[in-house]
Amino acid sequence: MQGPFGLFDILVLILIRGLPMTLALTLLSLLVGFLVGLLLALVRVYAPYGLNYIAIGYEKIFRGIPLLVLIFIFGAALLRYFIWTGSLANALFFAAMLSLALRSAAYQSEIFRGAIMSVDAGQMMAAKSIGMNTFQATRNIILPQALRLSLPGWANEYAVVIKDTSLASAIGISDLIYQAQAFTWDYPAQFLPIILIVAIIYFVFTYPVTRYLGESMTLKLRQLGLGGGR
Amino acid sequence: MMSILLVIGLVVGFGVGYMIPGLTPPVTPPDDYDVITDRGTIIVGTNSGWPPFEMLNTTTDELYGFDIDLAELVADYIGVTVEWVDMDFDALIGACQAGSIDMIASATFITAARCEVLQPLCWYIRTNEVVVVKANSTLTISSLDDLVGYTVGAQTGTTEDEELSEIAGVDLVRYPLVETMFQDLNAGALDAVYVDEPIVALYSTVYSIKIIFTVTAPPTAFYIRYGSDRLSAAINSAIAEGFADGSVDALIAQWFG
Repeated sequence: MQGPFGLFDILVLILIRGLPMTLALTLLSLLVGFLVGLLLALVRVYAPYGLNYIAIGYEKIFRGIPLLVLIFIFGAALLRYFIWTGSLANALFFAAMLSLALRSAAYQSEIFRGAIMSVDAGQMMAAKSIGMNTFQATRNIILPQALRLSLPGWANEYAVVIKDTSLASAIGISDLIYQAQAFTWDYPAQFLPIILIVAIIYFVFTYPVTRYLGESMTLKLRQLGLGGGR
Repeated sequence: MMSILLVIGLVVGFGVGYMIPGLTPPVTPPDDYDVITDRGTIIVGTNSGWPPFEMLNTTTDELYGFDIDLAELVADYIGVTVEWVDMDFDALIGACQAGSIDMIASATFITAARCEVLQPLCWYIRTNEVVVVKANSTLTISSLDDLVGYTVGAQTGTTEDEELSEIAGVDLVRYPLVETMFQDLNAGALDAVYVDEPIVALYSTVYSIKIIFTVTAPPTAFYIRYGSDRLSAAINSAIAEGFADGSVDALIAQWFG
């Protein structure tokens, strides 16, 4: 069953066939997770009594369900509800993206809530004292600081999500892991090298982001006078 | 107070959600055969990595194998094209019940448990299940019960998994991937592995392994949901005609030769 490819060809083929899907899943689910997560965080911090339980309930539920289970729920059990995306491949992609995004939103909401609450309460009072309403103060004073403060935590979330996209291969999404597995079946003797190739690809796409957003930005925050510690 | 409200909210929410299907009037679902012919495609679920039944061709990046060809033959007979979904084997039966896929073509044995929830179609091949050990192993068995006390690997959700689960005392390790199972056998973490015979051929080119025990497996068939006699009749006729005109035998010769 040995095929015609050498290890370098395999690396290139895994990148060409698998990387676009991995990156698309990561970026889209982070974006949707960002929007939903930020909304949940704002609801939890500012919403009137009662409404915040929706956000709390959401977080409790989606942080308590394993991602693989979510992917099976949306991608295997409820797939026909996503057929409106146009094709079966789109529906599968949407199901995987939705699982990742809904789970990520629950985590991101905690990141943003922590960041919003770590902006000094006096900032809100000061903004209101110069005539802003709560929305203006949140939009112009609190969020710009909170989003900067959330960067280290958010970089961590990126690192989690890009690696968790590998679970989408369970419903046949052609990502890095799905392709790598196919190559290990055709080249069973090369199992370890192929898996190491994938490990390196994931690392290369995780390290720069965590390094820049997670570490360099923390230094910059200190120069801006944001955040505690030294 | 807050946590009580949360609990009440969850109970009411799930309760209402549970009731809603009962509140809407029942509608007769359209026949699966009409759904498939109207759509022009049949959605078939498989789990690649199971040579020679279903594999992903790393040269063309497309599925190929015996089940793939046979399902295409069935689809041609009905006059539709195949849309493939390649998902974990454990998820296939649930996905077919839920209507996410129309048919399972994944070297699936006919077992009583599966027949309770899904309709098996005309069976098309019988293979063997085999117990495999390392070539230098001294283990010999005369029945599966002799595996008691040994660490044995099987793929999750397969018939081998079910058969071994029923024998108390076997230290059964379940693997989602066959590849990792053979890795562990080679590394000495497993005393034996219980798998379908056709896939052993692939791994015997990489590892020094030997077959010590053979069981005739249940027949292999495609599965669909219960409820459409026209769909099952069409697929069964397709397979029967395929046997009659020799095209299924040609496929068997091609893939198992």
